[in-house]
This record gives sequence, structure tokens and C-alpha cells, in this order.
Amino acid sequence: MSEELLEEFEDEQDAQKGMFMTFQMGGECYGIAITFVQEIVGIQPITAVPEIEDYIKGLINIRGKIIPVIDVRVRFKQEPFEYTDRTCIIVINVKSTIVGLIVDKIAGVITVDEREIILPPSLSQSGSVSSKYVFGLAKVDDEVKLLLDPERLIQDEDIAAFGEVVSGTEVSAEA
Amino acid sequence: MGEDFNTDSMLDMFLYESEQLLETLENVVLEKKDEDCFDEASINEIFRAMHTIKGSSGIMMYENITKVSHKLEDVFYYLRESHPENVPHLELVDHVLEVSDFINGELDKIREGETPDGDESKIVDEIDKFLTRIKTGIEKKGDELPPENTYVEPEQFYIAPTGSESSKYYKVSIYWRGDTQMCNIRAYTAVYSLKEIVEDMQYIPEDIITNEASSEVILADGFHMLVKCQATDEELISTIGETSGMDHVEIHDCTQQEFEMGFHHQDEDNIIINLDDKEKDSEEKKEKKEPTPGDYVIKNKESGKSKKLAKNQPKQQPKQTYISVNVEKLDALMDMIGELVISEAVVLQNPDLKVPGLDLTNFQKAAGQLSKITTELQDVIMSMRMMSLTNTFQKMNRIVFDVSRKLGKDIELEVIGENTEVDKNIIEHISDPLMHLIRNSVDHGIESKEDRIAAGKNPKGKITLEAKNEGGKVYIIVRDDGKGLNKQALYDKAKNNGLIGNRAMSEFTEKEIYQFITYAGFSTKEQVTEYSGRGVGMDVVVKNIQSVGGNLEIDSMEGAGSEMTLKIPLTLAIINGIVMQVGNSTFVIETNAVKEFVRISRDMLVKEPDGEEYIMLRNECYPFIRLNQRYHLEESKTDIEDGIVVVLEHESKFICVFIDELIAEQEIVVKPIPSYIRKVQGLSGCTQLGDGSIALILDIAGLIAGEERK
Repeated sequence: MSEELLEEFEDEQDAQKGMFMTFQMGGECYGIAITFVQEIVGIQPITAVPEIEDYIKGLINIRGKIIPVIDVRVRFKQEPFEYTDRTCIIVINVKSTIVGLIVDKIAGVITVDEREIILPPSLSQSGSVSSKYVFGLAKVDDEVKLLLDPERLIQDEDIAAFGEVVSGTEVSAEA
Repeated sequence: MGEDFNTDSMLDMFLYESEQLLETLENVVLEKKDEDCFDEASINEIFRAMHTIKGSSGIMMYENITKVSHKLEDVFYYLRESHPENVPHLELVDHVLEVSDFINGELDKIREGETPDGDESKIVDEIDKFLTRIKTGIEKKGDELPPENTYVEPEQFYIAPTGSESSKYYKVSIYWRGDTQMCNIRAYTAVYSLKEIVEDMQYIPEDIITNEASSEVILADGFHMLVKCQATDEELISTIGETSGMDHVEIHDCTQQEFEMGFHHQDEDNIIINLDDKEKDSEEKKEKKEPTPGDYVIKNKESGKSKKLAKNQPKQQPKQTYISVNVEKLDALMDMIGELVISEAVVLQNPDLKVPGLDLTNFQKAAGQLSKITTELQDVIMSMRMMSLTNTFQKMNRIVFDVSRKLGKDIELEVIGENTEVDKNIIEHISDPLMHLIRNSVDHGIESKEDRIAAGKNPKGKITLEAKNEGGKVYIIVRDDGKGLNKQALYDKAKNNGLIGNRAMSEFTEKEIYQFITYAGFSTKEQVTEYSGRGVGMDVVVKNIQSVGGNLEIDSMEGAGSEMTLKIPLTLAIINGIVMQVGNSTFVIETNAVKEFVRISRDMLVKEPDGEEYIMLRNECYPFIRLNQRYHLEESKTDIEDGIVVVLEHESKFICVFIDELIAEQEIVVKPIPSYIRKVQGLSGCTQLGDGSIALILDIAGLIAGEERK
């Protein structure tokens, strides 16, 4: 009995637990844990940076801070879209890396109980690429929301490893 | 209540202070190592340093440090008080350095969060033996020993007796009223005042300073002194004076034998003078003659050793006052000044001001003033992070001393330009590489004495450490007059270790061959010593230097010596840059790198079949880059006659870049490209312009390297 009370107490303490920021992307509805979300800004002029991955669109300037932004649709290898006034950038902070996510439309904040999150079924290779970024599904009001893992989303292990190799060879060649 | 006493800030202070003291100590010692003994100023300084460390380590409860510093303090106290001659100087230097190393080691452990568990007993023993040796060396000559260094302040006065016919002997007893506090201190006051006029005295109880319980003894039995002096008893009484609580003073004559026997018998004639009667006596006393100087002779225990002449001491530099500031605060300040510069640009270049027909003369004047002040503020703040290289260079002294001694070589270290200032960040990164380079010079570079004499060189090797500011970079040069680098040996070794494939020696320039030594796993030393030869040093050195954006150049002449040059850019967070437009993107190039702007005509452009382009300018051929092609930018000018060509220079290499138009020259704040975006060759950072848009900063070295790679 006391354990339950303790749990409830803890849940109340962490008011952000179980809350997800949801947004629309090409017909699907995605969610991201609100603990990672720093702020949401409207679409801004993006400065392109040459010779980088296609899903990193460039840099934006928010109150003096220069932040890289990712186009989530390109990340999911979907059709890229035209940015409209309604396009938003969700600024997330994952392990001290600050990145902006360009999304179609913001839906809202939902609360999902931990126990109601369903693990995604493992899809065959023809399944959508987004499956590796999704850590769970939540059913809210007859709608299924795909819950994203921000770390997987921004991290691309292949690129990171490649980057190191490249810089390594650069050093020894110049020496 | 069991709450832990927060020692963090105290610990920081202790570590910082002790580190500073030990550094000063080492410097003093190394400065004087070549002389035959320490001069008074140095002795004092070393004594003070040890005294302070002893005290603070005692508070922090680091007993081993306390013991070791206490022991060394004893030695220097002895040196200070009795100025012995023929102290084995090098041995003493060794002991001091040993102690300094031990304490540094313990401090390192504390800093890492481990327990300082070093065993000090060996060092303490050795120093003890050393001290006894120099003390007994003195006794054999019959001089007096100075009193033991106890914690008692002030010390007991050892006043040597003078023979004088007219000396009188008294026993003086002071009694205090029963409720008097701190009788021991009052008793001491009496002793102190009497010593001015007496030749010799003893008193009981003796431990009035150290032992509070003596106060009770005094209350019960009285305070007794045996005094030998020229004065009369009335003079003694008046000197003792009257302090509150004193009940009465007794003075008895005593004989010389009684005096010499001390407090072991009773006296005979009693003259008890009550304080009430003092008034009667005072009239008499006034008529007494004042003692003339020369009546009382007190022999000092000072030996006749003359102090070192002031002119032989190195002139003390005017002391600068310092304040220690947390580096985080400085960083925050640097960030803020960066934001200020950007804000200033936003204000001064505001689109609102671009209303035609607006009279802005007053505004321009004020804006000019604002710019001036901001620039000055920026300069001062940047300079706050700059520290002179003096400390780093001093450390090198120690290394040369240690390594040259251990290898049996005689080497002199010459330091030039140590007042050059560099950013604190840089100092931290070059300290280790420098140490390694110096060790290399001592170990590999300078030959043994015999070899040097055989080669006709001065048997004393010389290493020069020089620092200078040039062209926005700091040059740190390590030069030795040793045996230099042997190109053939380098080439052979590199080939044997498989570091260069099968390329012939002729394919490399001299400088490139010298750079072989920086490759990992390379070493021509046959044997691995404690100091070098494992072949893992130089590549780490190069990496460290590159991490602050610098590079290492090596030059050498066989038989004459080698020269290693570290070139490090001053950390410029705010630089002067030229803003230019290419297509929809804005780029910035550092003003220093820009040599000129030209508009060229089509006939100056040369195009090679493989697509490479060159520009002919004043009969020189320069590689040509179109940024729009390089970076796949759209909507930019393609006709060479429409845009502008910028000629850039980097370390004597030239390159031409084609841009659409020039926008402005302004100060820009360099911000790193977020690490999330992997490194792009040719871009070294980004910045915000006055209108809020972002511009990318071009890295000339990267552009040139990219061209060469092709």
C-alpha cells in the first residue's frame, strides 16, 4: 500500500512524465517526449551549409544562438514539402545537443500512460524507414501516434563514424 | 549535528596557494643553484614558503606535508639564524627540490580526490641527518648554537653573561592577588621589561609562555627571578612597574654563588617593599641618575658574517598585484562581449535607419563613439584571458636541470621573450608539448661533453627558448646547438617502419623528411630511456598543438643543431572580416588573409581540360575557385566578368576566389559551427550579421588544402 502511494507521489512530482508533444508529418501523427522539447518557433530563414547531409537543412538564429535544423520528412526519406507559414521548428535538447526539427504542423500535448504504450511490431525491410526511430505506439482517441526516440532521430551512427575516419586521414596527410 | 564542514572552497584555496608557493620556491632555488650558497633574501623566501605550507597543511590535516615542510623549515630557520658557512649547497638544493616534488605529488593526489598517503619519513630522516651534519660542523668550531626552533614566540633570550665587578645579584619575587587571571602572562611582562636592564636572569616557573597551568603555580608560590644586573633594587622595582593584580614584590640580595646555583636555596636578607610604600620611594628614585648608555652591555649572539652585498642581488622586479578570478566568470564575460558586438552591429546597421533623406549626422557621431568604446572594452576583456608565458618557461628550467643532471650533460637554457602573452587556453595545451620538445633537445639533440669537445663545440650545450608575436600568431621556438637531424637516418627509419611506403628519398622536401619524426611509432633512438625513445611522444605533441589550431615546423642542420617552431594562432573570438555574397549565401573572410580584390577579364582566365581553372595576374598563376561550384550554391553569378575575384594568402600560398559582391568590412564574432554538423572543409565557423542572418566563415587553409588534394 505504501509503495503505491510512493509511486503516485513520484508521478505527481514528475509532471512531465508521460507527456508528449505531438505533430503532424505527411499524414502521420508523431509524438516526442516533452522533456526533450525546449521551445517551438515558427519557420525562419535558414542559412544553408554546404556539403552536409541532406536532412540537415542548415542553421537558424534564435536569440543569438545558432542552431542546426533537420527536416524530419527528409530524415524519414519521405517526400520533402514546401515550407508554409504553419511550418514549425521544434527545438529539442538531447544530451546537450540542441537541434531544431522542421515539422508540418503542431498538434498538441497529450498525456500517455506508460502502460498504454505498445511496442511497434518489427516490420520487414519494406516497412517504413521510420520504424527504427519509433520506440512505441500510443492509441489516443482512436488515433495512433508514433512516439519518436529523439536520440535515434538526430544521431546517425554511420555518418558519425565516417566523420571521424575522414578527419583522421586529413590529419596524417597534412602532417 | 554531524553536518559535514564544507571544505571545498578551503581546499581550492589551499591547493592554489600551495601550488603558487611551491612554484616560487622552485624558481628561487633554480635561480641560485649555480651559486655557492643561498643569499639572505632567498633563505627568507624559502623559509616563509615552508612556514606557510606547514601551517595551511596543518589546518587541512595533511600530516605528511606538515611534517616534511616543518623539517625543511627547521633547516632554513637554522640557516637564517646562524649563517653557517660551508653548507653543501647542491645537496641542499637537492633536498629542497625533493621536498617540493613530494608535496607536489601529494597535492596532485588531493586534487584527483585520492588520499595523500605518501610516506614522508624517509625524506624527513634525510633532512634531519643533513641538518645535524651542518649543526655539528658548527659545534666543532666552538661557536654557539642558536636556540632550538620552538613554537614559542618570542624566543627565550639567551643573553651571554658578561663579567663585571659591579654586578649585583638579586632574587626578585612577585606575588599576585588570589583572583588574578593570566598570571603567567603578567609574569612574562615583568621578565620582558627587566631584560632591558639586566645582564642575566633566570626565573621559575620557566614555562610561563607555553603552560597555562604555570599561572596557578605563580598564584600559589609567587613568581621568582634570579637577576644579575648593575641596577639597584629600586630601579628593578620601578622597571617591573605595577600591573593590576600585583600584590607585592620582594627583592632580596643574593650572592653570586646563589645566583649560579639557581633556585635551590633560600635567601637571607629580606627587604619587603609593599606597594603602598611606593610613593615614598618614588621621590628617591627620581633623584637617581638615569643609566647612561654603555653601562649595561648585552652580548648578542649574532655572528660576524657579513650580509651579501645588495648590488649582487638581482634587482627585484616591481611587484604587480594580482587577483584570482574564476575562469568561468571570464568565459561568461567573453561571451557577453561577443553578444555586445553583435548587438551593436544590429543597432548600427538597422534597416529602420535606411530611410532615405534622414539626417543622421548626430547619430553617426554618437555611433562612432559607441564603436570606439566597444572596441576598447573588447580589447581589455580579451587581454584578461591572456597570461604571460613566464610561468611555463620557468617550468622548463626545472626540466633542463633534472634531465641534464641525470644524463651527465652540462646544458644552459636561454629564455627570450617570456613576457609574450597568450590566451590561457593555449598555455594549457602547449605546456606538455613544450616539455617534450625540451626533453628531446636535451636527450637526443645535445651530445655528450666528449662528443661536443671532439666536434670543436663548447662543452656546455645551449638550448634557446624563444617566444614572439608575429602576424597574428605566436611563435614559440626551441633551438638547440646539438647534433641536428640526419636526413638519411630519418628516411631509412621511416621506410623500415613502413610509414612512407616505397617512395624514394628524393620525393620529399627537406622539411617533409624532418616531419617524419612526428609520425606515430617513429624513433631512431636505439634504446628506450626514461625520457624518450618509445616513439609515442612527437605525434602526441603535434596533436596537442593542432587542437589549438597551431602547427609544428622543424628545421635542422646536421652537426649544428635543430629548431622546432610552434606556430599558434592567437585565439581570436572576434576578428575583422570582410563580408561577401555568393548566391544566396553570405560568407566572411578574415581581413588579414585578403590580399586584394580584382575585377578580371575573360582573357585572364585559363581553363585546363580537367576543369581546373587558373588566373593570370601580373604574370603569376593562381589557382581559382568558384565557390558556387564548390559548395553547390544556386543563383550566383557565373560570368567571370560580373563578379569580383578575391586574392587570398595563407602562409605564402595564394588562391583566388570568385564571389558575387562585397558587402562590408566589419568586426565579427566567431562562433563555432554546432558540433552536430560534421566538419566541412573550408568552413571554420559562423557568425551573425547585423540583420540577424547567419554568415559562414571561410577557412583559407582548408580551401587551399582542398585544392591541392584534387
